[in-house]
Amino acid sequence: MSISQGLIVCWATLVVLSVGTVLAGGSGLWLAVLLLAVVKAWLIADGFMELRHAPRFWRALVLGWPVVLVLVVGLV
Amino acid sequence: MCTLPEPRRLPGDLAMWFFILAELSVFAILILAFAVTQALKPEVFAEGRAQLDTSTGLAMTLSLLTAGLLAALALQQVRLQRWRRGAGLFVAALLVALVYVAIKLTEYAHLGAAGLGLEHSTFFTLYWLLTGFHFLHVLLGMVILAWLALGCWRGGLSVGGLESGVLYWHMVDLVWVVLFPLVYVIG
Repeated sequence: MSISQGLIVCWATLVVLSVGTVLAGGSGLWLAVLLLAVVKAWLIADGFMELRHAPRFWRALVLGWPVVLVLVVGLV
Repeated sequence: MCTLPEPRRLPGDLAMWFFILAELSVFAILILAFAVTQALKPEVFAEGRAQLDTSTGLAMTLSLLTAGLLAALALQQVRLQRWRRGAGLFVAALLVALVYVAIKLTEYAHLGAAGLGLEHSTFFTLYWLLTGFHFLHVLLGMVILAWLALGCWRGGLSVGGLESGVLYWHMVDLVWVVLFPLVYVIG
């Protein structure tokens, strides 16, 4: 798979997960909505921002951002 | 024969990454303020959220993500030295981003006409602050996309500069995918 094809697959997955977010929200599945938000953020970070092959420190910072937010949102 | 693994590489300029971290920190404070206030006033937030259209939020999500895809594809074309094709994809990203702007402005006009302004309730105070702040970032991102398109057409931009500009747009997308469910979906 070429890099461009990989980007298109990443985008298509994001689209499906975004629709899934709305459907899960409509069914009151809040935990699923929060988990989908983390997965989508990770796809953007690793796929679009190319952090998959970046130094671990920077990758951990950006991948950790949605996790911390969703944990706090879930806890409150 | 053994081969060495490819060295890990951070795309774009280091300064852009520090800028992105600063922006993510500011958005985190706003998002957490929204979540904590929602926990304190669940009825006010449920009432406010009922005035928003989730499908409108989804349409904005899809337009931002599609602009992100087109910007990422443009960067790949530039890396292959196809500068004109890259410029075309940056223009396409800009046009798709305009769809987001049109939807957002329509939503703002609708809420304003219904009297759901900044001072209507705590929900709408935080809604306008959070989404308005993000909207301003989208506008700046569009200026950057236009500059990248022009730079690709004329030539002379460094790949590092292009990567930094594209990273900024992806940061705007990254914030939105967390902001969207919190503001529009989660009750």
